[in-house]
Amino acid sequence: MTIIWGGLALGAVYALVAIGYNIVFISSNTFNFAQAQLMMVGTFVTYTGLVTFHLPVFAAVLLAMAAVAVVASIEERVAIRPVADPSALLVTTLGAAVLLNGLSQLTWGTQPLSVPFFAGDRVLGLLGGRVYPVELALVAVAIAAVLIFTLLSRRLVTGLALLAMAEDREAAMLRGINVRRMAFWAFAASGAFAGLLGVFVGPKTFAVATLGASLALKGFVVVAIGGFGSMPGTLVGGLAVGLVEAVAARYLGSEYALISVFAVLLLILLVRPSGLFVRAQERTV
Amino acid sequence: MAAVWRGLRSLPTWTLPLVLGLVLLSLPWFGLDFTLSRQIQLGCILALLVSGLNLSLGYAGELALGQVAMYAAGAYTAGLLATAGWTDLLLQLAAAGLAVVLVGVVTGMAGLRLGSLSLAMTSFFLILLIPDIVAIFEEHTGGRNGLAGIPAGTLLGRPVDPESFYFVVVAVLIGWFAVMRNIAASRHGVALQVLKQSPVLASSMGISVFRMKLLAYAVGAVPAGLAGVLFANLDLYISAEAFGFTMATTILAASILGGPMSVYGAAVGAAVMQAGPNQSSNFQQFALVFTGIFLIAGGVLLRGGLADLARKAVDRLDRAAGLKGRPEPEAGEAPDLPRIEGVELGVEDVSKAFGGNQALKDVSFRALPGRVTALIGPNGSGKTTLLNMISGFYRIDSGRVLVAGAPLKGAVPHRVARAGVARTFQTPNIPEGVTVLQAVASGRYSSDRVSLLSAVLRLPRFRRAARADLDEAGRVLALVGMGHLRDAEAVSLPLGMRRLLEVARSLVGAPGVLLLDEAASGLDEDEVDRLAGLIRRIRAAGGTVVLVEHNFRLVLDLADDIVVLAHGQVIAQGPPSEIAENPRVLSEYLGVDNEWGADHGTAAEFAGAAKTAEAPEEAS
Repeated sequence: MTIIWGGLALGAVYALVAIGYNIVFISSNTFNFAQAQLMMVGTFVTYTGLVTFHLPVFAAVLLAMAAVAVVASIEERVAIRPVADPSALLVTTLGAAVLLNGLSQLTWGTQPLSVPFFAGDRVLGLLGGRVYPVELALVAVAIAAVLIFTLLSRRLVTGLALLAMAEDREAAMLRGINVRRMAFWAFAASGAFAGLLGVFVGPKTFAVATLGASLALKGFVVVAIGGFGSMPGTLVGGLAVGLVEAVAARYLGSEYALISVFAVLLLILLVRPSGLFVRAQERTV
Repeated sequence: MAAVWRGLRSLPTWTLPLVLGLVLLSLPWFGLDFTLSRQIQLGCILALLVSGLNLSLGYAGELALGQVAMYAAGAYTAGLLATAGWTDLLLQLAAAGLAVVLVGVVTGMAGLRLGSLSLAMTSFFLILLIPDIVAIFEEHTGGRNGLAGIPAGTLLGRPVDPESFYFVVVAVLIGWFAVMRNIAASRHGVALQVLKQSPVLASSMGISVFRMKLLAYAVGAVPAGLAGVLFANLDLYISAEAFGFTMATTILAASILGGPMSVYGAAVGAAVMQAGPNQSSNFQQFALVFTGIFLIAGGVLLRGGLADLARKAVDRLDRAAGLKGRPEPEAGEAPDLPRIEGVELGVEDVSKAFGGNQALKDVSFRALPGRVTALIGPNGSGKTTLLNMISGFYRIDSGRVLVAGAPLKGAVPHRVARAGVARTFQTPNIPEGVTVLQAVASGRYSSDRVSLLSAVLRLPRFRRAARADLDEAGRVLALVGMGHLRDAEAVSLPLGMRRLLEVARSLVGAPGVLLLDEAASGLDEDEVDRLAGLIRRIRAAGGTVVLVEHNFRLVLDLADDIVVLAHGQVIAQGPPSEIAENPRVLSEYLGVDNEWGADHGTAAEFAGAAKTAEAPEEAS
């Protein structure tokens, strides 16, 4: 049970990365390679706020949200908007990811930094397993995030506009939606969201500059399982990836953890390339 | 000055790279210190890696980040072979090449299923797996400590000392660039460019999108495997640390910088990255920052990389030296069209629904060789849908399509194309970066097949096909009256020319069935006349032509049989004289109601009416 709790918490982290991918994907049909790096910056800023400046939790979270939102906005302006060719976006967002990796290493060094969790780190016993409070919090945050974003996208005009943009950018423009501004704010929002998560993710993963690459990949596996743009899919995908990783690491050895996740990815891509929660569309000419 | 330039330009384009390669090869005779020699060898290895990425990223349009994993696979293949006593470099190179093709095919099959992003991610994932796989096979690979004490390589039984190893590295580089150049400058290179631009177009030309991308990805892995062998033999020590994320992004940055869609750009990009950011390897953070900036700036500003700048400069010099004048249309008779073996196209009770929308219902018609069959109908009546179903882009719900009597049911587009069905598109679909002649010649890809291997080795079979490609393409171009534009850039042509180019491209493979989707829309009167003349000649040569057209006058003028669609059903079919009198056609298609149609139902008048009220282009 301890393993399952650990796996669930990891899965929640991956699901949160995947949610970030989806926000940007829905609003601008772009895959932001650097989403996991934004989350990584969030953990670093939270660390700085909590440990270096001794800020109260609330203030540290606000600081991280603001900082990462600014970073994300800059990324949108510099690496997304000026790019004419959509296929070059993979290159430029990867560039942003690499740049953020390098800058974080320059700023915070290469050693893992431990981010304290505000609700303490006393081990709890739950359903026959041992679990840290932060692990429970992560699962709760992931579920809450999916619920909130699903509701927002259905109830708010803004959410509907975002969906319209994902469906057909030109049609949305013709209906008076300022597509560029919306894409910008969606990007900034995904940044703020990534910053907010720093306080939850940091205590589980540590703030470390190598976090980005592996989070980015596992977040992608989650999206591949759940389907692009599907919010409920991220929960199922996160659950699957987290559990596979935790179980493989426990029973096969830690060097098999990633390989098992990779095997799951290959399987999904071969069997159901569009993901479990998105229906395949017939090609159009 | 201009004369010197003209003289230089008359040499083959590979002269300069070959000379530079030979200079590189001869450097040790002019004294080359150890540090510089090592830097050059590392640069050559990087160039190999970048060149492989160019094949998949630049030519096939697939971002494959896994070059590093292939590099590692090659290095460990060499290292393990050497420790097992197989030190011959040629053997190691061959084994590593095979090993990485295998890895490429397995991962590519999965990765290519979901478009470019998923290949990027699956191949990226491979990089993260390297340390784990190395750890799992610790007793062979040395695990995290690395594989040390690899015996030095031998060549045909003779030991290779570090000085002579330099020659091996440079020779492999030159050899691979020759292969890469032969691929790029062949019909396969053009086919890859077509594919990158538009998978739809590629499959309509008989190119299997999946197999072609897989091929590019797997072949692109080969130089990485070779580079791995060289690296293992250079240091005689390998560890998983050399094959990390930083290396992967360095390769990508070098590719973007040099120009992904170029052969020699890889060497330039690799040289810059090796001389620049790779020197700061002690400060990995700075290397990351630089690489990140390179990637963003390269993606935003430098589309096409340094290679593109070089091409533009050459173009400028060409013009200054008077090598390129403004082409003039040549007068004279258009050449004859040889006999086309047209086949019968049969559509039997075909139905298609998109969700609840019944796009086509029980549509049947036949198009015969030596006849022009026109499909007409108001916007949204299902004409283009029908064409798309014939070419295999949509699945058929019920009914069947027959080509020369053989049913096509369930066939994918490239198979339909190989069965002899060629088509044009409503919006002309022309790949970037190729000349008019190449664009037309690409239409012969499926009719006269040549393997990649014979293209690489420039076998007689390849040369024959290449010559036939150019001859045929030149002839068809002259037929559509565009012979003088053969060396112009295809995408820069005006709309009318691009439409004619599409017709030429679909005609060049002598298709059994030719589908023209609104070929005349957007053409001026002159061009419409030329197109009509061309269609008549195709008919006279025995071709089967299916014409989707809004220009009613043109249809009455050209067609032998007319099929009228409305609301997804055939409401009338027959010869033009009948159709022009049919009251339902008049009301449904021409919007002429009875008070108008009953009294004045003659073909000539409706032609006039149709001409003035020509329908706008149907949205695709």
